[in-house]
Amino acid sequence: MKSYKELPNDAGSNIIGQVTAQADRIQKRLASVKYTVAIMSGKGGVGKSSLTANLATALTLNGNAVGVVDADINGPTLAKMMGVRNATLEYTPAGVKPAMTALGTKLISMDLLLAEDDAPVLWNAYSQKDAFTWRTTMEVGALREFIADTEWGNLDYLLLDLPPGTDRLPNVTELIPNLSGVVVVTIPSEVSQLIVKKSVTMARDILGVPIIGVVENMAFYVCQHCGEKEPLFSADETLDKTLQQLMLGSIPFDPQLSRANDNGTLYIDKYPDAPASQVLVQVGKKIQDFFISIV
Amino acid sequence: MKFLCTDCDTAMKFKDVTRPEQGSVTALFECPDCFTEIAMYLNPSETQMLKSLDLKLGGTNEAAQPMQLVRSQLETAKGESMPNMFSSETSSGETAEGGKCPFTGVISDAFQEDSTPTEPTGPVWTAEALERLERIPAFVRPMAKMGIESFAKDNGHDEITAEVMDAARGNFPAQF
Repeated sequence: MKSYKELPNDAGSNIIGQVTAQADRIQKRLASVKYTVAIMSGKGGVGKSSLTANLATALTLNGNAVGVVDADINGPTLAKMMGVRNATLEYTPAGVKPAMTALGTKLISMDLLLAEDDAPVLWNAYSQKDAFTWRTTMEVGALREFIADTEWGNLDYLLLDLPPGTDRLPNVTELIPNLSGVVVVTIPSEVSQLIVKKSVTMARDILGVPIIGVVENMAFYVCQHCGEKEPLFSADETLDKTLQQLMLGSIPFDPQLSRANDNGTLYIDKYPDAPASQVLVQVGKKIQDFFISIV
Repeated sequence: MKFLCTDCDTAMKFKDVTRPEQGSVTALFECPDCFTEIAMYLNPSETQMLKSLDLKLGGTNEAAQPMQLVRSQLETAKGESMPNMFSSETSSGETAEGGKCPFTGVISDAFQEDSTPTEPTGPVWTAEALERLERIPAFVRPMAKMGIESFAKDNGHDEITAEVMDAARGNFPAQF
């Protein structure tokens, strides 16, 4: 009786061919993208999406062609933060035309496909029972299509805003094996750093993805009356040495930034002189320098 | 996934796929030498997994449509996000050009069927049986649960007890 290997094919489904074709679609699309950068943390609520929106804007203002993938399939926020929530996606045989901010940053997000404000991501299925067995697969498929089927054109940077969880980056590197690098976001709290260090290990030691650096968000606040810097978290919660060595910048807390996100205003464009804007611009330049240095 | 006709020692070929019943798809394979047919049943979880991977049983010669998975499977999508992705095919797989694309159309339609999820009614689990179910490794538990429920239905049991699980045990690799 013939063995598995002796049988010529899989009876005609060509599953390997179909999977290869999916991977090829990504590679073809990314051929016109210089650098793919994941913004990650592992921890939720540290401001990854806010940072992504503002870094994308900073890089755009610095003359780069920038695209953004909102990889948070279930909690997409970037369309609102970047002021393009009312955009209508246009489908062509060549792909999907992304939303575009007033400054020209391109964005694809699940939020642009959902019917209503209160509509969650719900996938067609005979039953939603036991959906945990396939939902993640569907989400990775959606992310694959966001990357592969969006008409990005020529980009200098494609930023991917990852949802919380140290397991998210491996999903991305399955899709983009040659990911250019990651920016890791934390806040000063020990709880955040505990998770963020796991993400650093995952990226650097397990997946071998270059770490561009760490951004400390909500690092402090500046008193509006006296200009003094005050810690937003406990004063003795300083950044871990491992993370300090990778530091790209410490962004102060600014209520205006939060309001800008809510209003869909591009913060660093509207408030270029704000301390947080200046740090964000510097972080953008350091990301550019990182790639210049490794050429 | 490969199938062998053990009488002929010949690889079987994909022949057809039927419409689903309660989320399950049936695929037919045929021996090219003796024309013996076998049917492969995908349970709803397996069908859903194949759908989630955006893979087509029987293969496809059609170019992928932009975001075809998201646009065809997102239930809570905007109306304009959901044009008919497979408009060139009829439900029987006939293409607009008159050619036969026997599998992709049917599978696509199959995946669109049952768009209103319904919770199937089935046998009731006793507390003791549920406790035993919890001992099955988590990653195979859903499949085992579905299989036991199917066994119970097929054998006329309205209630799944430890005894029913014992009777069903022979059908599953996992111990419980």
